[in-house]
Amino acid sequence: MNRTILEVRNLSKYFGGLAAISDLDIDIFDAEILGVIGPNGAGKTTLFNVISGFHLPSRGKVIFNGQDITGLKAHQVAHVGISRTFQASNLFMSLSVLDNVFTCHHLSYRTSLWKRFLHTPSAIEEEKRLRRGALEILEFMGLDPLKNEVAAKLTHGQQKALGLCMALATHPKLLLLDEPVTGMNPVEIQTMLNLISRIRSRGMTIAIVEHNMQAVMNLCERIIVLNHGKKIAEGLHKEISANKEVIEAYLGEEEEE
Amino acid sequence: MTFIMMLRTGLISLGIAAFWGIGAYASAALVLKGGVSFWFALPAATVITGIIAWAIGYLLVRNPGFGFLILTSIIGMLISLVFGNIRWLGGFTGIEYIPLPDPFDIPFLAPIPFISKIPYYFLMLFLFLVVLISFWALYNSSTGRAWMAIGLNPHLAESIGVNVFRYRLIAFVIASGAAGLEGSFYAHYIGSINPNAFNIFKTIHVHIYAILGGTGSAFLGPIIGTFIMTFVPESLRVAKEIEPILTGALLILLIIFLPGGILSLLNLRQRHWQSFERIVRIARSIKKPPSLIEQKRE
Repeated sequence: MNRTILEVRNLSKYFGGLAAISDLDIDIFDAEILGVIGPNGAGKTTLFNVISGFHLPSRGKVIFNGQDITGLKAHQVAHVGISRTFQASNLFMSLSVLDNVFTCHHLSYRTSLWKRFLHTPSAIEEEKRLRRGALEILEFMGLDPLKNEVAAKLTHGQQKALGLCMALATHPKLLLLDEPVTGMNPVEIQTMLNLISRIRSRGMTIAIVEHNMQAVMNLCERIIVLNHGKKIAEGLHKEISANKEVIEAYLGEEEEE
Repeated sequence: MTFIMMLRTGLISLGIAAFWGIGAYASAALVLKGGVSFWFALPAATVITGIIAWAIGYLLVRNPGFGFLILTSIIGMLISLVFGNIRWLGGFTGIEYIPLPDPFDIPFLAPIPFISKIPYYFLMLFLFLVVLISFWALYNSSTGRAWMAIGLNPHLAESIGVNVFRYRLIAFVIASGAAGLEGSFYAHYIGSINPNAFNIFKTIHVHIYAILGGTGSAFLGPIIGTFIMTFVPESLRVAKEIEPILTGALLILLIIFLPGGILSLLNLRQRHWQSFERIVRIARSIKKPPSLIEQKRE
């Protein structure tokens, strides 16, 4: 087993009196692809929001690469190397595709602020390098034919792929994907799954929150199932699909609807 | 322009005139009470305004949105009362007899005295260019892009590692500092200042300049807006009593029919141009063997 990259210990998050997550323990191992599934309201997105610093946890710890990142702000979490995508397409809608990715290089600058302000040759050189870097990411993800398009004009699937490019542009060590294939048609889903496994093949650690069971089953080796903020199962995907509690959580939900 | 800088980061400040006033008062007090030269007071006033803005901004910038809007407008309203009640700064009558800038020495040339309006004009032009160029440099650096990111999508900006609070504060301080610079110049140009000149209506006026010109552009919008707002009321002077009414009506018409400002007229043309470009692009891509794009995708 690889070493642990992210440890979540006794994590709880309450909204008022409601426990969105309670006493959750999760390990994410280096270079793995972990799926987090669960019915609606199971606390999956809350988990990501807490890890990425958008919500403060009510209790518990988040440890990333041996560093306690509990309660850090979102931009600080981005700094230590955790990047995330959002459920809804969350882009700089009025910018071009290339500028979207380029803007995400915010953390990649090495020259000093003064040099950047005075536009010294080294700063200009760096700008060019980062712009090339943005283009490389787009090429890697197959979005480069669209690079001059305005983000708002892309299809839903393309926007999600762009969101993924932008998350990559911060050079993360851990990528959190919040529902990457929700609302897509089967073709788009397949493209997205290919993209994710391509990122994976570069050795990236990825955690995915997703409703689409089939997509998760195809992609992830290890799966964690949440229900009502608690972990009800964890294991390889064969074990999960045979787990009684998981089936109950899902089928129970569907019967009610 | 300062307004647009703030707007980019998603903040609307109604306190610009307050910082303008702080700059003017700081400069006047430095010259009259401190006995320093105008050429020292000008940058000093800018820095003082910036420091005060930093202190105020540190408290206010944390909660953007309506809270910020209201709080800055309160500062905008308070400032004339504050200055009015400081006896040392002349109370409500203000400060009078602010000396002219000292003659400006250029080596090998005769010193330039500030008697006619022409040296003022060149000084203003120079300051304007300094502000313009430094703002341009900021916008085109990582700082500018961070501002843009915050303005377009604060959550996303945060998730890519932009310290939203810090960059908003920087914008607030720089915008206020620039207002302070202008205030300092104004004080020495007019020769006297009084607290009522810096009330909130001045801020609103500044905002009208920017909105009229078009908020889409950081530089051209405010410049065009200011240009129009200075010349239109002047040319309507023929009917002096109804001039504000005419100007107001013009503004209302503009906002109804051109909500993007004067500059959106340009954008209309640009949009046509873009669609033309797209047609050219499509035409070109047809000539290319389609397999090229497919291969890249693999």
